Amino acid sequence: MSIVGDVFKELLGMFLTDARLTTSILSLVAIVGGLVAALPVEPFLAGGVLLFGCLAILVEAASREAKGRAHR
Amino acid sequence: MDIAVWSVAAPAVGSAFLASLVEVVEAFTIVLAVGTLRGWRPAAFGTIAALGVLGGLIALFGPLLDRLPLHLLQLVIGVLLLLFGMGWLRKAVLRAAGVIPLHDEEAIFASEAAQLAGVTDGSASLDWIAGLTAFKAVLLEGLEVVFIVIAVGAGHGLLWPASLGALAACVVILATGIAVHKPLAKVPENTLKFGVGVMLSAFGVFWTGEGLGSPGRVRTLRWRSLPRCFSRSVLLPHPGSGAP
Repeated sequence: MSIVGDVFKELLGMFLTDARLTTSILSLVAIVGGLVAALPVEPFLAGGVLLFGCLAILVEAASREAKGRAHR
Repeated sequence: MDIAVWSVAAPAVGSAFLASLVEVVEAFTIVLAVGTLRGWRPAAFGTIAALGVLGGLIALFGPLLDRLPLHLLQLVIGVLLLLFGMGWLRKAVLRAAGVIPLHDEEAIFASEAAQLAGVTDGSASLDWIAGLTAFKAVLLEGLEVVFIVIAVGAGHGLLWPASLGALAACVVILATGIAVHKPLAKVPENTLKFGVGVMLSAFGVFWTGEGLGSPGRVRTLRWRSLPRCFSRSVLLPHPGSGAP
């Protein structure tokens, strides 16, 4: 059972290293999906929101972690 | 194979190869500790059994994914690649900046060796524990490889080339490991992780965009520019430049 438990823990850890990073990415995808579905958004704009949103999320996640560890 | 096919296949095979290098180095350290302390038979048995399970997973889930509607598959794989790739990228950035310590293969080897040395049951159960340790290490590290191979290969029929990329990484690490016979601490693991994180995140944006809209929606952003955007956003040189 320990191996099965470790496998599930590993699988979960692959996608949930940082809960806020995960939530932000999923929210961004939902927002872009909503934009594409609800509005006649230009493909370039939808793709741009997705790409630059991901970049902003990444920078925020890394700097938040760095600041958090600096304060500890 | 023409240039158009290579432009799709090369990033997929390259990502699978580089990601596998990172994971195989980690698994090799533990298998080496098992082999050195408890003999090569349990180490080889555990490794082969885990590789069999991983091969079975690819054979099971690879063709199964081909049956899903293409847009759903692209969206699911794209989101998973974003979560996985950006997680790797975040960790690589934090390690390169010195916020979290670098992965130390020699320390891991010493820790595994100490754990195995501490077990003092009978000889048969020692072999069993050693084999199980090798099995678990290869299985857990291999799961990430399986995910990457399926994610970069399944969407556009590149499952076999991506699998061969991963297999090539196994052969390279195994041959190097047999030659040096110690933990591969000099492999630039964090640089590799950074490069693979950039590639997987770029794949993730591409496939998520394709899955969300009509084909070509994100293609207008130019696939080749996506990795550069990711590597520049974290203020580090492009992985091709040889740093961090």
